[in-house]
Amino acid sequence: MITILFIIFFSLLLLVGRERGFKTFLSFILSLFLIILYVRFMALGISAIVLAIITCILSTIVSLFILNGYNNKTKSSFISILFVLLIISIFIIVIGKVSHVGGFSVEELDTVGMYNRDINYNMNDVIVGVYLVCIIGTVIDTSISISSAMNEILVNNRDISSKELFKSGMNVGKDILATTINTLYFAIISGFIGFFMWHRDTSFGYIINYKAFAQVILELLLSFITSILIIPITAYISSKLFKK
Amino acid sequence: MKKINYKLIIMVILSLIAIIFVYNDYFLYNTPILKVKKINNETRESTLHKEEYLDQRITGIIMNGEFKGKELTITNTSSYSQVFDMRIEENTEVFVNLNTNGDFISIQNIKRDKYLIILLIIFIDSILIVANNKGVKTLLSLFINIALTSLAIMIFKRNFRNINMLLLYIIVSILFIVISLYITNGKGKKTISAIASSIISLFISFGLSFSLIKLFGKDLFIWSMEYIEAVHDYQNFFYTSILLCGLGAIMDISITISSSLNELILKNPNIERKSLIKSGKEISKDIVGTMSNVMLFTVFTPVLPSILLAIKDNILLINALNIYGELELTTVLCACISIVLTIPISLYTSVFILKGKEEIK
Repeated sequence: MITILFIIFFSLLLLVGRERGFKTFLSFILSLFLIILYVRFMALGISAIVLAIITCILSTIVSLFILNGYNNKTKSSFISILFVLLIISIFIIVIGKVSHVGGFSVEELDTVGMYNRDINYNMNDVIVGVYLVCIIGTVIDTSISISSAMNEILVNNRDISSKELFKSGMNVGKDILATTINTLYFAIISGFIGFFMWHRDTSFGYIINYKAFAQVILELLLSFITSILIIPITAYISSKLFKK
Repeated sequence: MKKINYKLIIMVILSLIAIIFVYNDYFLYNTPILKVKKINNETRESTLHKEEYLDQRITGIIMNGEFKGKELTITNTSSYSQVFDMRIEENTEVFVNLNTNGDFISIQNIKRDKYLIILLIIFIDSILIVANNKGVKTLLSLFINIALTSLAIMIFKRNFRNINMLLLYIIVSILFIVISLYITNGKGKKTISAIASSIISLFISFGLSFSLIKLFGKDLFIWSMEYIEAVHDYQNFFYTSILLCGLGAIMDISITISSSLNELILKNPNIERKSLIKSGKEISKDIVGTMSNVMLFTVFTPVLPSILLAIKDNILLINALNIYGELELTTVLCACISIVLTIPISLYTSVFILKGKEEIK
């Protein structure tokens, strides 16, 4: 099944995007490979958070520089993403620590309950790492859209000041934001409809404190927050870097 | 400038009130809440376990209900990994089950509502600061989407044996498309063309995914899907998640293409169809790559904890991926196929709608 879908995805990409379609496919496969490597290395006992940050940086390099080449746009996106990663990882580590969302809930006893639980690896760190890797896709997407658009503006109007460039970058970001949030909402909520069916008789007060619910809502809100945070940072760094 | 500061002050005050409220919302719950004051940890001496286990003796004060103010000592067992258990720390608040005398029976849950609310407030505040009026529109459309999702869930919950889940969500998806595109982009031709191309793309791409899974998906192990036992019609449950996963991305691409083509037509009303399609293709090439990565990272990564647990128990990585990753990867790939398909569909639909009306005028 997966193979057939991969083949169809690949041929459609080639049909619509030609050479660029090929690059897209390559970066998709490499990202998937990085995610799988991430879980493989976690199993070796290396710190989940450190691994997550390395995975994020590598994925950023793969999707930025393979898809868009090495130039001013990708350079400024890369710096902005590193900044956001730094800020948000501290934030996620704190939230992950206080909210105790690591590990599994009772619903998952059927699917993972049979495994040995003495794994000597902290599941709270795992969930922090998962959140970090989760958000990197949308951060890259938003950042490169803004820096490309700003580059386009600069090409059309060489005399634009750094301040005006920052403003147009923010405007582009505002336009993207609505659709990004929409995209994330549906992507994340799609696998979660069943949760409410499972808990069809439980009260709202119980659900809102429930681990599985908190896990998904935190993922949703953290991706929203990072996709907002990346906008001013990319606009600022691009406006400084492009006008240098 | 002064007006903006005014708004900011109101926002900060409202946020602070909300945060103070969720830190003191014990009265909203019927289940007793214990605020942990002191913890006595003892390492368990046992040859059964391969990692550190703690026996926790936890003392705290009940914050609500019949036994409010009572001091209570409870016990909890916590492993180092916390795969299915939890480690309780000082100042954590936990829901506890008590008998009628107020004696401890079991721990029910950790109180997590305040963290969700704090994040929600950070999200709302930051979107309002960064995007101002557009932020309000985005929030409004998000709110309506959430309301529609809950409504659909409620309809289905009430009557879940008689209603076809997939059909319900197809109808709701069309509502999603019309309402969110209308709110965020207002009236106008570009919105109409975005709505039309989203709906056409949704039907074509979902039709493709649906028939592909019907044809080749017999070996898909749908039972490994989370919460599947709660649903009567598990086939349609899986199709519904595929339908919804790509929906936002389809809308995203449709509106991007139709508004940039609209921009081009506004700048040069005599622009030919051919050059419109050519520029549209140029614009859309940039979108596909990063969008498919967004899908991969946001949808696939959450299965990693299950895979980790399996390979820690000596399951081969490839087998663990097959058990836990197959359905998610199928969903991601179907969404990616929708993304690629949406580009030509919305290009031609937009050109047809935007240019067609232009000529009649």
